[in-house]
Amino acid sequence: MKCALVQFAPHLGLLEKNLELHYEFIERALQEGIDLIIFPELSLTGYTLKDLTSEVALNPRKNNRLDRIKNLSQKIDIVVGLVEEGSRGLFYNSAVYYSGGEILAIHRKVFLPTFGLFEEGKFFATGRCFKTFRTRFGPAGLLICRDFLHYGASYCLLAGKADLILVLSAAPGRGMSAQAGFASSKMWELMGETISRFSTAFVLYCNRVGFEDGVVFAGGSFIYDPWGERLLRGPDLEPAFLVQEIDLENLNRARKTWSFLRDDRPEIILNSLQNLMTKNED
Amino acid sequence: MKINEEFVTRLITTFIREELKKFGFERALIGLSGGVDSAVCAFLAARALGGEKVLCLIMPYGNTFPEEIDDARMVASLINCRSLIIDIQPMIDAYFARYPTDNPVLKGNKMARERMSILYDFSAREKALILGTSNKTELLIGYGTIHGDMACGINPLGDLYKTQIRQLAAWLGVPEKIRKKAPTAGLWAGQTDEGEIGLTYEELDKILYELVDLRRSRQELLDGGYDPVKINRVWEMMKRSEFKRRQPPIIKLSARTVGHDFLYPYDWDR
Repeated sequence: MKCALVQFAPHLGLLEKNLELHYEFIERALQEGIDLIIFPELSLTGYTLKDLTSEVALNPRKNNRLDRIKNLSQKIDIVVGLVEEGSRGLFYNSAVYYSGGEILAIHRKVFLPTFGLFEEGKFFATGRCFKTFRTRFGPAGLLICRDFLHYGASYCLLAGKADLILVLSAAPGRGMSAQAGFASSKMWELMGETISRFSTAFVLYCNRVGFEDGVVFAGGSFIYDPWGERLLRGPDLEPAFLVQEIDLENLNRARKTWSFLRDDRPEIILNSLQNLMTKNED
Repeated sequence: MKINEEFVTRLITTFIREELKKFGFERALIGLSGGVDSAVCAFLAARALGGEKVLCLIMPYGNTFPEEIDDARMVASLINCRSLIIDIQPMIDAYFARYPTDNPVLKGNKMARERMSILYDFSAREKALILGTSNKTELLIGYGTIHGDMACGINPLGDLYKTQIRQLAAWLGVPEKIRKKAPTAGLWAGQTDEGEIGLTYEELDKILYELVDLRRSRQELLDGGYDPVKINRVWEMMKRSEFKRRQPPIIKLSARTVGHDFLYPYDWDR
């Protein structure tokens, strides 16, 4: 299968303008014979929304503004990021997977960073689950940015036997040194290598670029294969349309060599978690 | 504290280009003092936009510091940009003729705000975005005039310590004469930042870096052998200058108040 990661800079708060950009990228992907195209976190709205959150929110199951994307997904699988209005007045930082002209899955971001320069918990409601779902390529799971740094989230996708772990991100670059690049970019790659190798799954991480309110988004999108080998690394800071051929047979090969998935015992993990939780300690 | 000059330059030049585009400005505007900060800012702006899209204002008070004027002109000619010398003496003298003072700080603040006022006037005339030149060291200890030299459209230097600016200056090719002279606010002859602050920039930046970037406590710094007088001096300067880094508090009366819970991004619909 052929994948594309769209490392770009959405306009903050301008849904229509961003939709136009999405159509352009999707058309390009169709021309290049891409099977799956992934956009970054909040790709339709921009990230630093604050009180704009409610103003750019929509319900992808009811609102027809995304119909063109839905229709385009008859020819190509598409993952976008948006503000989802769930129940009235509840807004989620969500990722939507479109395929075959339908919504295949929606993931609502669970871990909303709210510290230092992050304020997501002030504006978003919390998603409540990690799940895998069937795609034409195999079982897949969606994570949004910080979700991926909590390894329990990726564990749930392993327990759900994910072949593809799709991460939509709007990760700022932070931490300078004498070396080029941000310290934070290395952190994401470390997780990418670790999770792909020990889940024997593909990890596709699409991070945005551009500046919002002085904060720079680092780019550096990547794809790791089920061996933990990096197949692709996008540039720092610059926009890029990143294309990668993926051989799904590598899932079989890696899992024959490393039986982490076969040997996993989610029931024991669940039991242990329940025991820990019932202690109810602070 | 060492930075990667090439990476930082890439970041800052991209930032300058993007902000101009987002806010619809045609060029960048910089107040050149003859010092290293504004020189670095001008060099970065020229790299980002090309010299023809940079306008530098040199705003001396009469002929008090002729060498600074020469150095500022040298920077402008090195980056091939348009520059203008505007003498602020008539405006300043007119004011202090009516309200005389011997206090050099009052005079210095007034001059800084006069320059700010001229920069904002030219910003509107020339559709030019003002690039701030306050560095991280100055911002953290409040060594600047509020609504004066701290005022700007965007600040591309505000997350770099003075010592990092010097490192970048050398890499960018800012002339040694400018890099090596003692930093001064230029309020009176012989005034230097380091003389006024009571620490060298090397000492100051090291302490700030430990406290701010590495999040070490004052106690940890004491245990690490830093001079307690210097630690306290830096801490007090930081504390006493928070008002310069913030918008003033607005009284909270209604259900939704500017600055409290009316919270839109700076880059709203950009």
